Amino acid sequence: MKGSLLTPSEKLYAKLKEQRLNFFVSVPCQLLKELINLLENDSEVIYTPVTREEEGIGILAGAFLAGKRPAIVMQNSGIGNCINAICSLLNYYRIPIVFIISYRGTKGEAIDAQKPMGNATKPLLQDANVKFYEISALEELDLIDKGISEDYAQDKSVAFLFPFSFWK
Amino acid sequence: MRRFEAIQKIMETVTDEIVVCNLGHPSRELFVIKDRQKNFYMLGSMGLASSIGLGLAMSVEKRVIVIEGDGSVLMNLGTLTTIRANQPKNFILIIVDNEAYGSTGFQITFTSKGINLDKISKACNIHKTILITKEAGIKDVMEKILKSNDGPYCVVIKTEKGLPDNIPIIPYDSITIKDRFMRSI
Repeated sequence: MKGSLLTPSEKLYAKLKEQRLNFFVSVPCQLLKELINLLENDSEVIYTPVTREEEGIGILAGAFLAGKRPAIVMQNSGIGNCINAICSLLNYYRIPIVFIISYRGTKGEAIDAQKPMGNATKPLLQDANVKFYEISALEELDLIDKGISEDYAQDKSVAFLFPFSFWK
Repeated sequence: MRRFEAIQKIMETVTDEIVVCNLGHPSRELFVIKDRQKNFYMLGSMGLASSIGLGLAMSVEKRVIVIEGDGSVLMNLGTLTTIRANQPKNFILIIVDNEAYGSTGFQITFTSKGINLDKISKACNIHKTILITKEAGIKDVMEKILKSNDGPYCVVIKTEKGLPDNIPIIPYDSITIKDRFMRSI
């Protein structure tokens, strides 16, 4: 990699590797294109795209039970497709996963249809008892360390939201 | 043959494989038939037994057997494509198809309306799909599969509706089930 000229996706990817996350699923977003590509080409991690976010949660739960450190890479609109799985599988069994979420429908969004879920994202995560951190700039990537050492380490899922400002 | 008898026959062939079981009566019946630490009883999140099993199978060497239901699989039909996309050799999906939601009063599912899950599985090009319609066929098929080194397999077992009487609620909580399962695998 290029060192100080790393893109936001490459810096995020490096952080996820540093945290030894090793089993990933994804449902794509334009903002996540580069990150997904990095994961696809990483022979050190287990990776599969999934057909729907809820399915991905199930797969990651299985991976956790097997001792993996799992993460889902997804767009915030998919949170609505996960709520039962978060509550009745992840929380209920205290199976933690890391959510890497592109935060659409917020400042900088060009697609109007993203706005309803943009507004619902934080309330939904809150009601589903998932701690979330918004990472709006590269300098805030250390919040991933905080979330993983505080929440994930206690078997609680943790979500990281990346708005448009992060990816610029 | 009801689901109970199908699970009995399946578990006669299981030794130290991992078993993930669908929520509701299937897990309760499995608990009564053969409780083991390597059984993961799914208690919530209907639809995801096959996905949990897939995540396990992609992470471990051991064989993973999932006992699913028709209603549950129909809820997460994409699972068949994701299984195919990854083709884990150690994965066996058993769909006990009683053409109904057996834990909520036996409302019908669409497998009673001309939907054949075995044909859908075949169309997804999962390594091998087997349809079983008679109780006597289960032991033979399971033994052949467990002796083989290939996979994944999708086994659809058509059963009648019906529940045995007096099947208790599983007496373990979710954390106990998780902890003992993780220790055992």
